Amino acid sequence: MAVSTENVAAEIQGWLRENVTGGREVSPDEPLIENGVLTSLQTVELVTFLEERFDIIVEDEEFDEENFGSVEAIAGLVASKTA
Amino acid sequence: MLHPEFTLHDLLANCVERDPGKVAVVDGTAERTYEDLERASKALGAALVESGVKKGDRVGVYMEKSWEAIVAMLATSRIGAAYVNINPLFKPPQVAYVAQDCDVRVMIGDSAKLDDLEPGAVSGTAYYRGDRPGEETAGRLEDLAGVLRDGDAPEAQRRVSEVDLATILYTSGSTGMPKGVATSQRNVVVGAQIVSTYLENTPRDRILSALPLNFDAGMSQFTTALRVGATLVLQRSRLPGDLLRALRRHEITGVTGVPPLWALLLRSAKGIEAEPLEHLRYIANTGGRIPQANLDELRRLLDPSGTKIYLMYGLTEAFRSTYLPPEEVDRGSTCIGKAIPNTEILVINKEGRECAPDEPGELVHRGPTVAMGYWGNEEATRQAYRPNPLASPELLDVERVVYSGDTVRRDEEGFLYFIGREDAMIKSQGYRLSPEEVENLLIGSGLVHEACAFGVEDPAVGQLVMAVVSLRDGGDKVAVETIREHVIKNGPPYMVPKQIVVLDELPKTGSGKIDRKGISNVYANG
Repeated sequence: MAVSTENVAAEIQGWLRENVTGGREVSPDEPLIENGVLTSLQTVELVTFLEERFDIIVEDEEFDEENFGSVEAIAGLVASKTA
Repeated sequence: MLHPEFTLHDLLANCVERDPGKVAVVDGTAERTYEDLERASKALGAALVESGVKKGDRVGVYMEKSWEAIVAMLATSRIGAAYVNINPLFKPPQVAYVAQDCDVRVMIGDSAKLDDLEPGAVSGTAYYRGDRPGEETAGRLEDLAGVLRDGDAPEAQRRVSEVDLATILYTSGSTGMPKGVATSQRNVVVGAQIVSTYLENTPRDRILSALPLNFDAGMSQFTTALRVGATLVLQRSRLPGDLLRALRRHEITGVTGVPPLWALLLRSAKGIEAEPLEHLRYIANTGGRIPQANLDELRRLLDPSGTKIYLMYGLTEAFRSTYLPPEEVDRGSTCIGKAIPNTEILVINKEGRECAPDEPGELVHRGPTVAMGYWGNEEATRQAYRPNPLASPELLDVERVVYSGDTVRRDEEGFLYFIGREDAMIKSQGYRLSPEEVENLLIGSGLVHEACAFGVEDPAVGQLVMAVVSLRDGGDKVAVETIREHVIKNGPPYMVPKQIVVLDELPKTGSGKIDRKGISNVYANG
């Protein structure tokens, strides 16, 4: 199932609103790891959510700041796996 | 000639004396030497004096782990003031609580974090890192980068001795709001001497700083590195890929972590198996028991590189208490070893006498890392910091020891084993939490009538935070989402209950109090 980066980004933003920021919208390029928005354990939960929602597997070596540093980065990773 | 080690900045002076060009701190791609650290901490120290910071004043540090946060600690120490490292995960209400509790007037912080604080939260100067925050953030604003770059004002010579207050470490107990553990220069320096002794740190070490600096064990990587003149590598991301890369790229020789960190590292098991971490000399665990399965897996993965595993136990009230030497790791993950050097651990029963072998009793810590007490809280201080029960009555100067609240036993060979706690303190993700902190946060939503928070055992994080609430009049089930949103917005992630259960009324004890024990037993047993 191919999904667009925009749709994935919207889903991630929804998840962050609900589980991390308490209603605040996170912009696509806002640093998530560097600024401490997302803790490592929250990122693990996000990965679990994404793996189930999009039927993908995130490899351990992909599980890093480069891929999870912002909403657009995460969306790009997910979209590439569903393509 | 080397300086006697009395203060944190004496340790720095020795590093500069020995090898000024040695890399002290690696922050991202930037490498800073001990000479840089001396110059920057002098510049900031002078600026702080100019901002009116007097001896003994508290200086808040509210930023992500960074070179600047390291400089801030040393700058504060130099001028005889006390640094208060505030957990960067804290939200404005917790920061306001700390700032008020110990009267922080000057704050050094990340601009975005300072901007989020209520106007007036910082009454004096705020030294900001990043873009200039709003004017109402603080009484005065100073650009931290500018101070560190251009500051060359001569340092005010202030006499600082080992009995001065060095820092206040905020931690929670079983009741009430977090308490500030007043920690002296002597506590900090002796703590660094003790830890670097048993971890056998040397200038060749490259130590990963993966824990937050507001946590006693997190500050310890900085102080031990400083004590021996090692290199400290600051690690903000704890995602598995980044951890493994940092260990390899920086040729890390030592890592201290809490159990969830090892779970993240173990996700890279395949990578470690394929290419052992040949530079890694030791790992050290603190902040709770590693699940035995994870400990076994760590041993298997780290065996080829000869990496030693230390299991440690510490109380913020006395910095660090025990460790299990690596060669004894077969004793299993409930073993917390023996007292750290220069320290005595007593196991005391309810009658106030030393326990017989294997008799459960309270762990009591005696030694030079016993802190000065809880800031501004005499009652709690008298409760935890009590006279040494075994001291000779002829010694008129009452020596204080720390009663931990933890139940342990000591076997015939002298090894200590953790049994549990009798009070309601929650231990989650390496953090101590009192149920009341969580309950206050829930009630702060305005929708909750009564709340009861408690911990439920969980192998991954120690304990999961759970909450049972009753709603105020007119509340409905939809309220749970709103309550959750309030808690997430106003508290650090580890304080957010995994589940919020709504009941019409909370069970009470005979005396009419909320029956926390009864409620938590229901959930503990599934």
